[in-house]
Amino acid sequence: MKRSWWIAGWSAVLAVTVWWILQQMSLRSFWTQVLNGLSFGAVLFFLASGFTLIFGLMRISNLAHGGFYLVGAYIGITVMGLTGNFPLAVLLGGVAIALLGLFTERVLLRPIRGMEKPEVLLTIGLTFVLGDLSLAIWGGDPTPVPIPEALKGPLQIGNFAYPRYRLFVLICAVVVGAILFFVDRRTRIGALVRAGVDDQEMVAGLGINIKAVFTGVFVFGAFLAGFAGVIGGGFLTVLPGQDFEILLFALVVVIIGGLGSLPGAVLGASLVGLIDAFAKALVPELAFFTLFAPMALILVVRPHGLMGREA
Amino acid sequence: MKGPTGWVKLGLLVASLAVGVALPYLVDQFLVGIVTLALITGLFAMSIDLLAGYGGLVTLGQAGISAAASYGVAYMSVKAGAGHLAQVGVGLLAGLIVSAVFAVMIMRSSGVYFMMITLAQGMIIWGLSIRLTRITGAENGLPGVDRPEFLSLYWQYYWFVLAVVLICSAMLYVIVRSPFGLALEGLRESESRLLVLGYNTSLQKFYAFMVSGFFATVAGILLVYLNQFISPSSAHLTASALGVLQTILGGVGTLVGPMIGSFIVVYLRNVVSQDFERWPTLMGLLFIVVVLFARRGLVGELSERWRAWLTRRGLAVPLR
Repeated sequence: MKRSWWIAGWSAVLAVTVWWILQQMSLRSFWTQVLNGLSFGAVLFFLASGFTLIFGLMRISNLAHGGFYLVGAYIGITVMGLTGNFPLAVLLGGVAIALLGLFTERVLLRPIRGMEKPEVLLTIGLTFVLGDLSLAIWGGDPTPVPIPEALKGPLQIGNFAYPRYRLFVLICAVVVGAILFFVDRRTRIGALVRAGVDDQEMVAGLGINIKAVFTGVFVFGAFLAGFAGVIGGGFLTVLPGQDFEILLFALVVVIIGGLGSLPGAVLGASLVGLIDAFAKALVPELAFFTLFAPMALILVVRPHGLMGREA
Repeated sequence: MKGPTGWVKLGLLVASLAVGVALPYLVDQFLVGIVTLALITGLFAMSIDLLAGYGGLVTLGQAGISAAASYGVAYMSVKAGAGHLAQVGVGLLAGLIVSAVFAVMIMRSSGVYFMMITLAQGMIIWGLSIRLTRITGAENGLPGVDRPEFLSLYWQYYWFVLAVVLICSAMLYVIVRSPFGLALEGLRESESRLLVLGYNTSLQKFYAFMVSGFFATVAGILLVYLNQFISPSSAHLTASALGVLQTILGGVGTLVGPMIGSFIVVYLRNVVSQDFERWPTLMGLLFIVVVLFARRGLVGELSERWRAWLTRRGLAVPLR
């Protein structure tokens, strides 16, 4: 009973919001903004899902994720400049960051395993180093990752036109999300990770090398961040300082969605993407602030996020 | 005075006070300026230490609070043309309101969750300050914040800052030794035990955050009058993280450590980075090295050595 009241209440809020937005803009630009929001949300989902998986399993809040994203994007630009092969750029961007993640987990984080706060502080230090070295190597001019000819220009559906590339990103997110959910729910690896989230000692006691699972998840999360960098760099221009900006968005996604929850990452990324798109269109001066209000509200009502569990 | 440790502490305090007061007679304007800056960022780092060192709550958004206070002052000075009393009043109000809003958001969180939320809070203040052009002047910031007549010369302002920072340090010293400060340490050691003892830990976090926010606000006001300028970068995560670096470099939970850490960082930044272009890399590496190899910080390490030395000579009993 109580639950249905909540659903009714939130539906009413949603309906009023949509009605108010439609007073401000045409239906056509409304749908454009919805797609803008969801395609930005797609990039956030790549980042937040890796972040949340790492946190759920190892309790490490990897704040270097923003730095991983930025370096991945720059590697994508370099590979595109050398070969012009987009799939190769995406792959190499991901793999390079996966190797960086391997180094981070095995060399930097291993000595302070289990100490939550030092782990977080170390990843912040790493972000500064990565950001500054990227500035030294690739310079400070904003540049996009070059995208293949086939994905350029708009796609015409009836009299509605929308950039092909953003639709491509959206499809990528759906595919990656489906793979993640399938692996998580239906395979042995997913079962290991879920078991590790619940009780690491028990998993280790069953003769499974939990440390290898840790490393695997960390490296995979890093791969997703590099992948997100190359894909996202195609329509969000790559520039210094974006590491912190994208990290902020990813953090708000997991705070709203709930740390350690994959469905929470999907929900949070869509919400944050949509809020950001409409805020930029309607109240550009408050673009960042509009993230703040829902985050504050959710923290007061549900401190562990919409889909999160008690720590 | 209890044993030699008390005398050493007293001696160091008197010596540093004497040097501090006499400084404008000893060195040139550039160095006095650097020391003024180090005192202010030291106060800022101490406000972080109150939460991080005593409460176990490592905040990554403290610069957002100081920057809000600085913007309050700068707006009243540059855009509204108000008097200095009104400037400081609005600065205090801005810092405290932001602290209160943040405090309500964090009062039910702890650990890594607390770090992530405060990071987002600080960065949202940064986001506001680059977008809210009418109030903050966006990337250009707000230049031309004049000091009152009696503080306009650099050495006048130095002595003023020294006095304010000393008063604030004394207040912090009393706070961490009060029942409130001890309960805060209980929060760091075990929140669940404190809950069982009947403490309202959420409310405790709220108060602790407000007290810390007050000192960050004072630091923000002092800083904007020193630089006579404020821009979005002072609210950025980089600024908050720098404060945390100063705190852990000097020694978490010692209050004097963050001040020493601040002098080291400000010196490195202003003197070494004149010849070394990649300051953020240096800062990041310093972060990593301190976290990996020197988590007790300078003061923690030194007091440990001192204690061991005393114990060898039979002047003190070993801890535990």
